[in-house]
Parts: sequence; C-alpha cells; structure tokens
Amino acid sequence: MNGAPIDVLGQVPLFGELDAAELARIASVFKERRFSAGETVIQQGSGAAAFFVIVSGEATVLIDGVEHRTMHAGEYFGEMALIDAGVRTATVKAATDLLLSGVTFWDFRPIVEENGAIGWKLMQSLIEIYRSEREQH
Amino acid sequence: MSQVVPLIDAHETALFGSKAVDLGQALRDGLPVPPGVALAGDVVDAVAGRDEAAIREVAQAVASLRGPLAVRSSAVDEDGADASFAGQHMTLLNVRGSEELISALSEVWWSANSDSAITYRQRVGLFVRPSVGVVVQVLLDPETAGVMFTQNPVSGEDERVIEATLGLGEAVVAGLVIPDSFRVARSGEVLERRPGRKSVAIRSLPDGGTFAEELAAELVERPCLEDQQLAALNALAGRCEEVYGPARDIEWAIAGGTLYLLQCRAVTRAGT
Repeated sequence: MNGAPIDVLGQVPLFGELDAAELARIASVFKERRFSAGETVIQQGSGAAAFFVIVSGEATVLIDGVEHRTMHAGEYFGEMALIDAGVRTATVKAATDLLLSGVTFWDFRPIVEENGAIGWKLMQSLIEIYRSEREQH
Repeated sequence: MSQVVPLIDAHETALFGSKAVDLGQALRDGLPVPPGVALAGDVVDAVAGRDEAAIREVAQAVASLRGPLAVRSSAVDEDGADASFAGQHMTLLNVRGSEELISALSEVWWSANSDSAITYRQRVGLFVRPSVGVVVQVLLDPETAGVMFTQNPVSGEDERVIEATLGLGEAVVAGLVIPDSFRVARSGEVLERRPGRKSVAIRSLPDGGTFAEELAAELVERPCLEDQQLAALNALAGRCEEVYGPARDIEWAIAGGTLYLLQCRAVTRAGT
C-alpha cells in the first residue's frame, strides 16, 4: 500500500475544502503502520505526532479509561495533531490486528508551507469547525 | 553519494546516524562487529512509504547477509550528548525475509515518529523531523550477552562494570532478568562477581521474532562468564577506549566462543 485512501481523507472536516489534487498530494505522504490486537495506538495525555486513517481492523476509543466507542475501517483520528502537535484527548487501542495509514506533523507541515491554497482552505475548515463547536455549546 | 552502504563504509553521521558510523569506525579499526549494512534516513523514509526503487536497493544490499537479521535504529540525533532516545527508537530482532525487513524498517521509522518520541523531543528541545537511519546486521545466536561500562558509571572508579546474561542481551536491556554483575580492574583482576537471577533467556524463533525461554534451576544463579571471557571483555573495553575515547557504554555478545561488539556509545549523562 502506498499513500492513504483519498475518499476517506475527503470526509475529514479539516480537509473538507480541499480538491481532489490537493487531497492526493496529502495522501501521498501517508505511511502504513500496523498494530497487534491489544496494543495501544495513542495514549490520552501524550503529545501527538500523527493523524491516522483505519485501513483495516477495529480500534477502541477510551476517554479517562472508559470505553467510548469502536472505530472501523474508513474512520480516522488525531487530525488536529497535524496543526499543533498538541495533547491526545483520548486513548485508542487496537481491538483487532490493525492496519493504519498515517501522516506525521513533520510530513504534513511542509505541504501546507509550500502550498498557500491548501493552507487557506485548512483555515476555512478550521473556522467552520470552530463555528460549529461554538453553536453546539 | 550512496545512501545504502556496507557498515564499514558508513562515515557520515548526518546521513547514517551515530550508531552506524560508530560501528563502521569499529570495523575500520579491526574491532569484532557482526557484518551489516547502513541505511540513510532518506532510504528508510522511502521504504516506510513503500517506494519500490528504495525497497529494491535495500533488498540488494542485504542479500549478502546470511541468516536472520537485527534491525536497529540509528537516528541521526538519537545519541546526542544531552538526549537519549533509548527505549523509544526501536530494535527488531530475528527479522527474516524481505517482506519482514520492509515491515521492520517501517516499524523503526514509526518508533522515531511516535507520540512518545515526539513528546520527548519537545521536552529536550529537539523538535525537528527525525532522520531515521538504520543498521541491518546479521543476528548472532549468543551463548552469553550483556552490557559493559568501561568506567564505573556510579562511582566513577576506573574499573569495568559488566552485566551478563544467557542468550540475547535484550533480556538485560528489557529488564527481564537480574543479570550477573562483575567488576574488573583495568589490570584484569576480577574485583567482584555477583550472581544475578537469570530465570529466562531470550532466544530467536525459527520463523522470526524472539521468545523468553525458561532456564533450568541450576543456571539461574550460576555466573555465566568465566575468567577468560572477563579478560576478553576487559581487552575489548581497552580497545574501544583507544578507538572512541573514555567512558563507553558497550553492548556485547559471545557467540560460538567469539566475543562481538554490538554497540559502543558515550555514557549518557544521568538525568537525561
């Protein structure tokens, strides 16, 4: 496998404004990562390095140690790590053997820095996410 | 300049990382290092991204290495004087076949790009994209292995401190055993022998990976190094200090009766 599934990236709100070519550019720097059932993929409270799409398998999301939901192929997590490498807000564990496709903060940032159009569209998406969150609270 | 070279030709730390260059230097100085190949960070990055040309280049380079392999991170800044990535950057043992090697290189790449590695980088002010060089070496099947400090890291005394266990040294690194401990004077005099509790030995599995073998009761507390082997380790410590300078942290193994150097680095300062 090389790159990430573009159709899944198109569903990520952060990438909602990007066109097919821009999504393909981002997809091209993804790398696959495997976990065995039971392994911790990301840990709540840890610094965040990467955004992941589930290619196959299932993962459990835990918040404060409590099971929150199960994620399946085509779902994704950690996209905000691409912007600020901030802190993980949940733990994700492999419920089965898990194949992910991921991109790190360091590989994503140069794409944005080199391409103002992508950067602008990401800002638009972030404002949209912010407005939507504000309306919910 | 080639990005994939026999270990003996690894010269540039900025390309191959300090582990590869140190082992290359050891080979150039005639130290007993198992044969291997150094991969530059860009090549490992490309293999982790499943670039076919990079995969072919690596497969050709390792074709001459017989038997199972050890795949060790040699990230460019992982052994900096003020930072230690020990335990974060991964080593994979008993890797067999090209598909397993590709997976292993991918795992090593991700280990340097993991959340914990990133968090550590933020903490120590190394928040830059890691360049993940890798050393691929023939994996030994050692009778005994362990670590050695060429100077006592606690007291600062001018004596060798040797920790040893049966099987692969990863049992010591991973804390699975209490290793036998020895102190040896520079003159070769054995100052102390303290048996550990070696209830398991890490061994290679025929199909790849490793397992912890339960050891017979009589082996658990019997010292696993004889005077002759301690003398050989003392001599190796002396040669490493000649080549690299004082206060070295050495990983070693004895396989088929021969002592090998697996790694030699500066002792990392306490608290970093």
